[in-house]
Amino acid sequence: MVLNIDKLTGGYSKTAVIHDISFDIKSGEIIGLIGLNGSGKSTTIKHILGLLHPHKGSIEVNGIQIDEDTEKYRRDLAYIPESPILYEELTLKEHINMTAMAYGLDESTAWERADRLLKVFRLDDKVNMFPTHFSKGMKQKVMLICAFIAEPDLYIIDEPFLGLDPLGIESLIELMVEERDKNRSILMSTHILSTAERYCNRYVILDDGRVLASGTIEELREQMNMPGASLDDLYLSLTGGAGSNESTSV
Amino acid sequence: MKAPLYKSRIEDDIKIRSYYGKYIFNSHFLIFLTIAAGVFLYSLLGILSTMEPTIYLDLIAALIMSVLLLPKYRSLLKEADVLFLPPYEKNMKRYFSYTSQYSFWLNIGLPIVGLVIALLLLSVGHSVVEMGVFAVMAVILYIMALFIRRNAINSPVSQNTVITLLVIIHFISLMLLLQNVFFAAAGLALIAGLYYWINKKQYKNLDWTTLVNYEAALLQKYYQYVSMFTNVHHISKQYKRRKYFDSLLKQPKPGMFNKGHMYEYLFKRTFLRDNDLPMIILRLLLIFTVAMVWVHQLMLSVIIILFGLYIIVLQMSQLYTAQAYLLWPKIWPVKREYIQESYIRFSHKVMLAISLALAALFIILHPPYFYIAVIFPLWGYLLNSYFSKSVYKKERLLSD
Repeated sequence: MVLNIDKLTGGYSKTAVIHDISFDIKSGEIIGLIGLNGSGKSTTIKHILGLLHPHKGSIEVNGIQIDEDTEKYRRDLAYIPESPILYEELTLKEHINMTAMAYGLDESTAWERADRLLKVFRLDDKVNMFPTHFSKGMKQKVMLICAFIAEPDLYIIDEPFLGLDPLGIESLIELMVEERDKNRSILMSTHILSTAERYCNRYVILDDGRVLASGTIEELREQMNMPGASLDDLYLSLTGGAGSNESTSV
Repeated sequence: MKAPLYKSRIEDDIKIRSYYGKYIFNSHFLIFLTIAAGVFLYSLLGILSTMEPTIYLDLIAALIMSVLLLPKYRSLLKEADVLFLPPYEKNMKRYFSYTSQYSFWLNIGLPIVGLVIALLLLSVGHSVVEMGVFAVMAVILYIMALFIRRNAINSPVSQNTVITLLVIIHFISLMLLLQNVFFAAAGLALIAGLYYWINKKQYKNLDWTTLVNYEAALLQKYYQYVSMFTNVHHISKQYKRRKYFDSLLKQPKPGMFNKGHMYEYLFKRTFLRDNDLPMIILRLLLIFTVAMVWVHQLMLSVIIILFGLYIIVLQMSQLYTAQAYLLWPKIWPVKREYIQESYIRFSHKVMLAISLALAALFIILHPPYFYIAVIFPLWGYLLNSYFSKSVYKKERLLSD
């Protein structure tokens, strides 16, 4: 089990925002974390990253809780935030160097991986530029490159397609599938349900800080008694249609 | 009844200034200022008592006032005002009038200090009447400069052009009246001409975006100034590449390409590419150098260097604070202690370089007492060790 969340209750202060969340991710799985704005997706992610302390319950990455061995816990995951967070004072090359040093990669291995990713995301001629001057989509690609050179067991991607151009989305999907085939796992929160349906192995649907449903698309169809229904339909049915304006298709 | 907008904005600005004022004018700084002002006045009066009237004194007095009579207009506008206030533009005369008055008082400190110094210089060879006209002219130029700079924001004329023109006009006006008080009329004509020209150049409607950006830039400048003394949360750091520093920012050697050295790699870049920090430290070093050369007194040189190193150590600690609270150090599989260790290692190197430079200056100024210079690197080391650890402690308490 790469990630195991057991009865997690937590939030930003003493007031709990998420309640009794439980799900797991096995090696080589892509899991879609789905929910309306404010349903608790980002709070759950922040708990997994160790940015928030759980009120109750536990989170394990490769069988280790963050307090047991913080460095090992963090080495096994990479995070791509919804909005790119970059160092204004560093060039793209220096961002890659920093990430490589943080994850204990030697320079040649890091650049072997980075060169390929830079080509994939068409940033290979911009390594000496400051990413803060890039467009939002290009900044997001920098985040993706930095995460993918680490090659951790678990990727946590918050809204992966936000701001990316169609070529970028395609490249990211290819990379995600490639990583899954290498037995690595991905937890992605997204509103783009049609894409999630195509590539995710399982789904965790959150509503008001609780797990509303989880499982494969088939399992969700069975639970909802909606054979052949799309993830969009299942989601709308689960949330009572309130989220009809929230979901988008690509 | 709801208070007028200008009132709440002015009150808010005063609150911010009072809050940070406590940190700037702390007991150490006040002691230093009192000693520095006393020594400066004592030595200035000593020099003046032996001086004969000369045009150079007029030049210095006029020059000091020319660069100090440049009040900045604080509109106190905020980003959201661009959306909400334009429909009320026609009813905002009162707002702008009150913020102009506020700007008048806000900027008056330095010109008063400058005027006292200028009048002391002019007391050699000038009558009380001439000095009185000089002071009145300075007040008029100050008020006109405030209006001109305010109106120029809403015009295509750049602030740099306006400042250059103002400095030239101030200088000519003050120099002329020092030759003959009736020439003050020429100065008045010149400043009135500039006021008229800028008024003609003004846009019909307010350029809200420029006004708001101008205000934001002034506020950032204020925060940058405050950040020399304490941590400022509102400050948004800006960076720029200085190509001439690139040779100092090499790729780490294979043995240093690891988590133990990554934050030093980052701190080097943060420091050398910071928009202000290297220049602030350079300016501080220049001020301390000028002060030491001017005073040329053994004990005061020692005090200036010790105080200077203290200020620079405080400046440096913002580097650590800027990095420690960011997201990535909380995500990366790297112990947080590495940030502190790297910062201490890096800042010790910088402080050693600065304290050695000041020690060299001290030895040049006071060769017989060269051995005293040994205390400066030691003082820099102790200060830096103490402050870097206390910043780290504060950060840990906050993160807990």
